[in-house]
Amino acid sequence: MHTKSQVALEFLATYAWAFVVVAIAIGALYYFGIFDFSNYLPQKCVFPSQFKCLDFSLSPSEVKINLANNLGEDIRVTSLQITNDANPPISCTPPAAFDWASSTDKDITFTSCTGGAYIQGERVDARVAISYYAVNTPSQQTHLINGKINGRVISS
Amino acid sequence: MEESYQVNGTSGQSSLEYLLVVAITFIVILPATYLFYSYSKESGYEITDAQVTRLGRTIVDTAESIFYSGQGSKTVLELNMPDNVDTAQIIDGRELVFNVTTSFGVSEIVFFSFVNLTANGNCIANVCAIPGLAGSGLKKVKLEVIDQISVKIETI
Repeated sequence: MHTKSQVALEFLATYAWAFVVVAIAIGALYYFGIFDFSNYLPQKCVFPSQFKCLDFSLSPSEVKINLANNLGEDIRVTSLQITNDANPPISCTPPAAFDWASSTDKDITFTSCTGGAYIQGERVDARVAISYYAVNTPSQQTHLINGKINGRVISS
Repeated sequence: MEESYQVNGTSGQSSLEYLLVVAITFIVILPATYLFYSYSKESGYEITDAQVTRLGRTIVDTAESIFYSGQGSKTVLELNMPDNVDTAQIIDGRELVFNVTTSFGVSEIVFFSFVNLTANGNCIANVCAIPGLAGSGLKKVKLEVIDQISVKIETI
């Protein structure tokens, strides 16, 4: 009986140490963000093909997107917004309204970005909404498109 | 007692090996599942966008084509509408608009026509709804030159 309990205790002692070591290792990996799998996804900029995203960059306090107007029409962009799901969400100063000729590309720059976990070196997800109307449509009905960018904030 | 010790030691080793295999399997499967899910979600949006773009261009190009064939010309298109298209409407007789819902918001995919488009009597002011065109599945779309200035779009 005595030998049996000793074996049981030795077994528990051996594997308890192993368990503690594994738990500490997993905790350390979690702390350093190894298990945040979204970091391993490629950086991406997704917009409807009529506003193809050619390039984008996330620098401290600035979000820059290069979009192409593939609508086949001259348009006027009336408003732009950027937001995300963080608390508080990202807040930037959008560019002013501008005209956009067909088959040309534009750099759209949001400045003075704060909040939204917009931190240098961190991965950020943001949604961009663009309102526009076609210049040649008589009623100038406004249309809305939504796009998404996911990337790492680089140093300036 | 010696025999009992041997037996317990062997089963303990088997259990540990089993746990290790299961743990390693989970470590591989969980990130892989997350990465593939993320990829497929974005690919799903890109496929929907490509399908709507092709479908819209087909309708507008066909409308322009039959318009120049003269009054009374008509044709029927068989189109496969993807998921997440909520509404289809004509604005000012020149904009064919599809509202597409994505995980990052609703986008309006707009196609511009050189010929005047109209729908089957579902017009309020300058906006004509095309009932039956939105929603996923195979659609039969009839295009007909109803007078010398307009092409009527309806689903049959």
